[in-house]
Amino acid sequence: MSADFQIAWEVMKWPFVACLLFPPLLVYLGLHVVKREVIFVDLALAQVATLGTCIALLMGYHFDDRTTFWISLAVTFVGAAFFSWTRSTQKGPVPQEAIIGITFVVAAAGVILLLSRVAGGKEELEHLLTGDILNVTKGEIGQRLIVFAALGGFYAAFHKRFVLISSDPEKAFADGVRVRLWDFLFYAAFALVVVSFVRLAGVLLTFAYLIVPAVCGTMLAQEWMKRLAIGWGIAAAASLIGLWASYKMDLPTGAAIVVASGLLLAIVGIFSSARRA
Amino acid sequence: MKSRNLHRAATLALVAIAATGSSAAAQIRVVATTPDLASVAREIGGDKVSVVALAKPTEDPHYVDAKPSHIVTLNRADALIEGGAELELGWLPPLLENSRNSKISAGAPGRIVASDGVKMLEVPTSFDRSKGDVHSLGNPHFMIDPVTVKIVARNIANHLAQVDPKNAATYNGNLSRFNAKLDAKYADWQKQLAPYRGAKIVTYHKDFVYFAERFGLNIVDELEPKPGIAPSPAHLAQVIGKMKAGNAKVILVQPFQNRKTAETVARQTGATVLDTPEQPGAASNTNTYFDMMDNLVHTLAGGLGAQK
Repeated sequence: MSADFQIAWEVMKWPFVACLLFPPLLVYLGLHVVKREVIFVDLALAQVATLGTCIALLMGYHFDDRTTFWISLAVTFVGAAFFSWTRSTQKGPVPQEAIIGITFVVAAAGVILLLSRVAGGKEELEHLLTGDILNVTKGEIGQRLIVFAALGGFYAAFHKRFVLISSDPEKAFADGVRVRLWDFLFYAAFALVVVSFVRLAGVLLTFAYLIVPAVCGTMLAQEWMKRLAIGWGIAAAASLIGLWASYKMDLPTGAAIVVASGLLLAIVGIFSSARRA
Repeated sequence: MKSRNLHRAATLALVAIAATGSSAAAQIRVVATTPDLASVAREIGGDKVSVVALAKPTEDPHYVDAKPSHIVTLNRADALIEGGAELELGWLPPLLENSRNSKISAGAPGRIVASDGVKMLEVPTSFDRSKGDVHSLGNPHFMIDPVTVKIVARNIANHLAQVDPKNAATYNGNLSRFNAKLDAKYADWQKQLAPYRGAKIVTYHKDFVYFAERFGLNIVDELEPKPGIAPSPAHLAQVIGKMKAGNAKVILVQPFQNRKTAETVARQTGATVLDTPEQPGAASNTNTYFDMMDNLVHTLAGGLGAQK
């Protein structure tokens, strides 16, 4: 092991661990989100979570305070309840994607309004977008690992039910599944994942981990498990490339991973369309 | 847990030495948070030190984006100079934690706090972050006060002498030379600004308080309603009213501040916007602290002179 590599490892170790441990659950949720065609729901929830954080900041709490987390989570649960309520079993004239888009924009504008009253608001805004995955600590990883493991267990236990609701809500409804309740549980758990990861990695990286690997998986395979495996591979590859580029070229870490995942998606896209042709 | 960290720190140190080679070991590696501190450190350290700054000259010293190189640089440092008074509160602590370098941990000889012994202005009597207060220890923008900088230079010389005792005489000699040069320059700056004693200025952030006090300038108001809070229309209207009533004709901005806001106010009041960067390297040909101050005084005198 060369000396240079050893220094790189010391600096990038915890970001690396975070970028390998957390994406699997995000990729799984991403597959649901892609299936439901509510791609921007996570971006909207992440933004709502940010709005909650801003409310806490305005109340005088610090970004890292525990209370900030709870306020953010509470606000995000309201958002989750709203989304499960607007997802009606009968298709109305207004698609849910429109509601989600509107929620995103209004929450984003709300964040700007609130942060205009917070010292260093402009910088805080950028911080919330890009996160600080480079400076992640062992403690932060440990806390989230517990949350992610519990939620991972929850999703695994009810995997079949969630798949049914995601892919065929009408059938689920006909089967007597309480779709709205389960939708809320789905979104509430989703919100918890998003809130805890957004605070670590920022809105952009969270979205990238949720959607890009899931889209790659959906392009290349039919079954859930295969898609999940491909998604994990893509997320891990994007993390490695992004972390490496961040270190080698001294770039902001989170943004480097997002761009790396975009490049991987482009390659997968070209590959899958060539295969189909 | 502790011993693991120690072990890691030891490994890192060994690796750092191996990676940089033995020739560099001759120089003390000094890391400064901002370019102004770095410049003073170069004056004091001379050829006995190598100095790098973490923040870019055009970057807001309150908000620096964390990059991997910052951690590596801090990990290899023999000494760290920070402005102190919470100037770097928003970005330095996590970098320091990750760099795991006991040589620059708080209280170590290698940890130099520039604000030590500085008579701070605007120390709040009550502190409430929700009201936009950011600095519980007072205004941290003291480096553009030439008298205060002497204290900073002494802090640096004292600590470098502790970190590197065999060159203590060199550092003290350099300190005397720096102070003598500063005295001469200060006299010159005073002469240039003497005609404008009592002149009214407006700044974007509360970053000229020490300078104004030293050179007898009168700060009418800031464009920010509170430090770090973006200018609001109502507050700007108030500032415009004050500027018109008091006949204030210059607005000072930093490279990272919103010049457009200043220009809007300037249009309403017939004032001039002056670029007065407080960091060496932000304006062209201002690589040292002295260059930066020359440029600052020159720009200000020119701007105020044109208004007369």
